[in-house]
Amino acid sequence: MQNTTPFKTYAMGLIAFVILLPLLIHSQVLATEILIFAMAAIGCNLLLGYSGLLSFGQSLFFGGGAYAASILSINFDVSLLTVIGFTLIVGIALAVLVGFFSIRRQGIYFVMITLAFGQLGYYAAFLAEDFTGGEDGLLDVPRVALKLPFLPDVHFDTDISFYILTSVLFVLSVMLMQLVVNSPFGSVLQAIRQNENRAEAIGYRVKLYKIAIFAFSGAITALSGALYALMLNFAPLSNIDIEISETILFMCVLGGLGSIFGSIVGAAVFLLASDFLSELWPRWMLILGFLVILVMLYARGGLWASLMIMLERAKEILGIKEKHNV
Amino acid sequence: MSLYLFQILNGVGLGMIYFLMGVGLTIIFGMMNFVNFAHGAFYALGAYACYVVMSITGSFWAGLVLAPICIGILALGIEKVLVRRLYAVDHSIQILITIGVMMMIREGTLLIWGTVPKSIRVPELLAGIVAFDDFVYPVYRLFIVGVTALIGIGLWLLLEKTRFGMVIRAGSERPHMVALLGINIDKLFSMTFIGGVALAGVAGALIAPIRGVDAFMGVEALGIAFVVVVIGGMGSFSGALIGGLIVGLVQSFTSGFWPAGTNVMIYSVMALIIMFRPNGLLGRA
Amino acid sequence: MIKLKKAIILASSMFLSLTSYAQAKDVTIYGVSSESGAFANFGKQGSKGLKLAVDAADDAAGMKFNYSIIDSESNAGKAARKVKAAISKSDARYFIGSTLSSTALAVGKEVDKAGGIYINGSGADEITGTQCNKAMFRWSAPTYGAVNASLIPVLDLHPEIKRVYTITPDYVFGEAMLNNAKIILKKRGIELVGNSYHSLKEKEFSGYLSQAMATKADLLLVLNFGSLATNTLLQADSFGMKDKMQILLVWSSGLDHFRTLTPKVAEGIYFGSQYWHEDESPANKAFVALSREKLKETPNYPMAHYYQMTKLLIDSMNATKSADPDAIRKHLEGLEYDGLTGREFINAENHQVEKYFYLLQGKKASEMKDPDNYANIISKAKYFLPANETGCKM
Repeated sequence: MQNTTPFKTYAMGLIAFVILLPLLIHSQVLATEILIFAMAAIGCNLLLGYSGLLSFGQSLFFGGGAYAASILSINFDVSLLTVIGFTLIVGIALAVLVGFFSIRRQGIYFVMITLAFGQLGYYAAFLAEDFTGGEDGLLDVPRVALKLPFLPDVHFDTDISFYILTSVLFVLSVMLMQLVVNSPFGSVLQAIRQNENRAEAIGYRVKLYKIAIFAFSGAITALSGALYALMLNFAPLSNIDIEISETILFMCVLGGLGSIFGSIVGAAVFLLASDFLSELWPRWMLILGFLVILVMLYARGGLWASLMIMLERAKEILGIKEKHNV
Repeated sequence: MSLYLFQILNGVGLGMIYFLMGVGLTIIFGMMNFVNFAHGAFYALGAYACYVVMSITGSFWAGLVLAPICIGILALGIEKVLVRRLYAVDHSIQILITIGVMMMIREGTLLIWGTVPKSIRVPELLAGIVAFDDFVYPVYRLFIVGVTALIGIGLWLLLEKTRFGMVIRAGSERPHMVALLGINIDKLFSMTFIGGVALAGVAGALIAPIRGVDAFMGVEALGIAFVVVVIGGMGSFSGALIGGLIVGLVQSFTSGFWPAGTNVMIYSVMALIIMFRPNGLLGRA
Repeated sequence: MIKLKKAIILASSMFLSLTSYAQAKDVTIYGVSSESGAFANFGKQGSKGLKLAVDAADDAAGMKFNYSIIDSESNAGKAARKVKAAISKSDARYFIGSTLSSTALAVGKEVDKAGGIYINGSGADEITGTQCNKAMFRWSAPTYGAVNASLIPVLDLHPEIKRVYTITPDYVFGEAMLNNAKIILKKRGIELVGNSYHSLKEKEFSGYLSQAMATKADLLLVLNFGSLATNTLLQADSFGMKDKMQILLVWSSGLDHFRTLTPKVAEGIYFGSQYWHEDESPANKAFVALSREKLKETPNYPMAHYYQMTKLLIDSMNATKSADPDAIRKHLEGLEYDGLTGREFINAENHQVEKYFYLLQGKKASEMKDPDNYANIISKAKYFLPANETGCKM
């Protein structure tokens, strides 16, 4: 369905979304966090939803991006673009490394190698106290200004300005990822996911394709990690913990595999639920676990797709037909 | 006795515990091609069950016997309602669903038994220590090694030497063929799942006196159990034993010279082994 | 008709001004507690203590106190984000508590930027040391105080101790504990025969414990905390180490540790503790009575210190008759008051609360007078470094 949505409409939808979000939930900080994790969930969906690769190593890219951006911003007088560029390079490098080793294996062995990389990243960050602050994390991470030639510096110290920055990067990267999955490259990935041997036999270099999608996933996940550190002015060790991989995975699964828009919904629902439910009932994760099981059993398209299906049904029942259907 | 010899002995002791954590997981995978990420949660439940039985009856032994039975009954229910539908689906979907189960069990234990960790004391009979020159070893740990060895031998005999084991092995290779022979494959799978999960319960109950009982113990056990079976080869019974011993020895030696790095070493060893032996040391291709 | 309209407008405007007047006097205190996640135990109890203090607060100065709990989900990043949101959205200025040191440090930065007050009881010495700032106050004794107040009396009680073995978590906190212990041992000419570092995710202490036994130490000095300490002590008990040497756990969780370990294991072991419910100080007696009356439970450390920190804040607001963070800060700096551990004093230079630290010894089950009478207080003492030696520059 989304494949047929005109590109322009899609972009307008995204822009409307980032404008409405903070108005609807009355919190710019929470809205920023939703966009950040939506990007991470999309990174996970590129692997799991579009390529069938279940990665427990996303924490490495997220935490790696957070540390890269923080170390650069704390120690050097740089422009925002430099920080973003460096973060992307670090994310891609880590992802290509993990991808190179892990895609040689399949199923549970693939999962375990990504998990091992995730764990190694955590312990490395814990031990490299001089760079990462160890258990305490990196404090006082400044939000560096955007320095452009001939123009005054743009600062992002207020909540609203940082939200705008995040929105811009969010819309750009989501559009880019949508382009990627709709491109011939994306179709080959789908073919690989459905039948790897056949794709190989047709002559596609399956490994290269998989490493490439890892690189995209690493880049967007590292960018989200970097934005998270700048948002908090803080890069905690928990950014690179296995729990972050799990959280990202849940957002991706709840929203729906194989749908970029689904990942955005997944991240929003997860964070809003954790924000509101955690105040009502500390054991809210019980419900979350149940939801994950339900979605995986009955609605692999995720919450978004289920909602759409329900809307369609409701329309049919009410006898409302859209013009082009008549 | 030299320090190295002691480290070897201690590593073997640990390795047997890890074998026990992993063996149920590997049997379920080997027979049913099912990846159970809720394994650690059942292990934690085993420890809680042992704690409950012990606080009612006052006997650790009753806890040790009843805990796996309780977990087995729970597994029967979960198999009927949920797991049965998952045999044919992709590993990644099995993983995600069993993670959901794991979360529900973990939060459920917190809901029922509260957030304060519990502890079980080693039974008086096994409370002492054995001394080897300067080094000592608790009797209870020797007991765990002994029980684990017995369980291992029992399982091996069951799987290799009985008709039941033969059918299970055949079922894992060619389920349709076995079904054609008039054997109820669903029942067979259901029994395998219950058995594998009950083994996690045994492990939890046995370990409770050493490390206490809390809702988050399952996550650690899950990590170790997977490392063990992946090193040994998913589905391989003797692989779980070798994997357990390797992890135990790596941990014992690393803690001697680089304690902060024990986990780094364990995961590095696992990653290296998968690089060179894609299906683990004894796994089938 | 017109009269009626006027009356309504008048009445509603009066009502509005009344409510806005009341709102100006409303003060919300934000509790940062790990209600869910791996440290749910700590957070749940902490929140209870905070609520107790707010509910029992008097409104002497005409202020109405409310609370709002921020669930840190046992994650420093989450805590920092939620605190940031509360500051920008609800104009929050008063914060209490944290479970993890990393949470406390990050929240402290946020509250400082907003010009608020943040009182916490975390384990990181940096809070009143190198990372100190004018927003942060710390109620718990630092590692220096904890080690001195527990190790010195144990060494005094047992002059036969000549050899000590330490078990230390391998990061900043453990290193600080170990250095403090080394200084005391050196001063007394006692040999440190060995030390085992371990990771924060360690569950297996058998190797370290057998090394400790092999060195024939007289004292096993346990410098970790929480579930790491539970595992260490359970395994030490199964090694029969209590018969061979003294055991001291410096940074215990107090009542929670005794409940988890049971008297059989805890019996005879020494525990350092930030709080113990059987202290005879008037403030503590009143607090324990209140907790038993309202919650039907004996307060543990998380509950007690959240209560104390919240009460400290509320009392300062009543005393200064203001909710202005600067006025309250001025009031707190150098304040001496009746706290849960006795007379407590707030150092103006680094915002460290100088309170007592306890040394406890586990009792036999048969000697316990009530279900929570797990231990005897052996001693309580105050040891604090002068502010200029803590590295704090405010």
